[in-house]
Amino acid sequence: MMISYLAEQARIFVDIFAYLIPALPATLAITIAAFVLAVVLGLLVSLARLCGLVFLRWLAKAYVDILRGIPLLVQIFFIYFGLGKILHLDRFAAGVLAVGICYSAYLAEIFRSGIAAIEKGQHEAALSLGMTHFQVLRYVIFPQAARIIIPPSANEFIASLKDSSLVSIIGMRELTRAGREYYSQYFVDFQTWLAVGVLYLIMTLGLSRIVALLERKFRVHGYGVAR
Amino acid sequence: MQMSSENNIIVVRDVTKNFGNVRALCGVNLTVKRGAVVVIVGPSGSGKSTMLRCLNVLEKIDGGSIVIDGIPVDADSRHIHKVRTEVGMVFQSFNLFPHLTAAENVSLAPRLVRKKSQKEAEAEALALLKKVGLADKANAYPGQLSGGQMQRVAIARALAMRPRIMLFDEPTSALDPEMIGEVLAVMKDLAHEGMTMLVVTHEMGFARQVADRLLFFDEGRVVEEGPVVEVLTKPRRPRTKEFFEKVL
Repeated sequence: MMISYLAEQARIFVDIFAYLIPALPATLAITIAAFVLAVVLGLLVSLARLCGLVFLRWLAKAYVDILRGIPLLVQIFFIYFGLGKILHLDRFAAGVLAVGICYSAYLAEIFRSGIAAIEKGQHEAALSLGMTHFQVLRYVIFPQAARIIIPPSANEFIASLKDSSLVSIIGMRELTRAGREYYSQYFVDFQTWLAVGVLYLIMTLGLSRIVALLERKFRVHGYGVAR
Repeated sequence: MQMSSENNIIVVRDVTKNFGNVRALCGVNLTVKRGAVVVIVGPSGSGKSTMLRCLNVLEKIDGGSIVIDGIPVDADSRHIHKVRTEVGMVFQSFNLFPHLTAAENVSLAPRLVRKKSQKEAEAEALALLKKVGLADKANAYPGQLSGGQMQRVAIARALAMRPRIMLFDEPTSALDPEMIGEVLAVMKDLAHEGMTMLVVTHEMGFARQVADRLLFFDEGRVVEEGPVVEVLTKPRRPRTKEFFEKVL
């Protein structure tokens, strides 16, 4: 009796996973595309916040404050039903845009504080050697800021993986949506969500391991602190 | 090749600089001849570091004029760039790039700014490190070096750009006493080789042995200047007398 129950459950789970796993590439695609966008935008905004022009600095700060002050879910709706209808964006594009723009604000703050954390003397020494501002950033500041920026950025990446589940709300067929579809067809609610949770967990734990390895790699070197 | 035929490589006239309400420099006048070694002394807050930093445009002046080797120091970015490549600076806190080895620290700017090839820049970096006595530390990171070694690497790094003028902003103030000598030795060699040097320091021994002129700075002005021995032994202004009485 017990064995046949367990066998039945096992069969259900196998069925669920078989249904869910083909949706994983979509989840990963949204996350990666959105994060790449977030990094590019975040970098531009962080530099705008640090630059000499007051207007740009103000604009960038407004960008960060607004995007961090509105729930991502609302931003997804805004872009899909608002902007998306004007620009005829499909679900994937709208989803990537929404998640990417939202996360760019968080990354902009991380990048900005990482760059600002590098003490002024580094910048001055490089300038006094005749380097241009771009060269100073590229060869002196960024390599040092990277150490500070990478761990929190990697955590944002993992967070964006979880937030990609919100894109299910506009009908995008990723992991969470696949879970809802399965549930609405077969009504095994607990098992479905357990399976969905397990798959997200495998992805986030896997990424966390990679982040930990990356952090360790950057700590090696005889790398002193700038004195 | 000299940029200008004038013998005065630095000409500072009536320079003023404010930080908000604070008047850091209140009308500084000074001229430095090519090849001269000038030591600047004075109480903290007197504006000596600010003056130095105005010379390589790390600070912008509010009034007056500065001409370095015939190049006016103004808002023109080409002038600023030219001045910075002709003027080297050594900082109190060394400011070495911690993510690069000593040799990489020294060769970075020549590669990026003077567009030297990797091999050429590396070879010159090694030669300069040898000159400051640190050839064996070429592949060490700043975190692995002592203060005196870091400062010597910093001097080599500044020299790598072949500047005509070297500015030293309290180069030994952050060093343990036992390491001051090794840095001063490098600076003395540089002076004997004919480099134009402006040194803000408290090391009067160095001033006496190597410098041509001594400038006493106080409250944003040059209060007194002249040949080193003269200013030290026969100061004319009361403020100068007062300072040296306390310091020497």
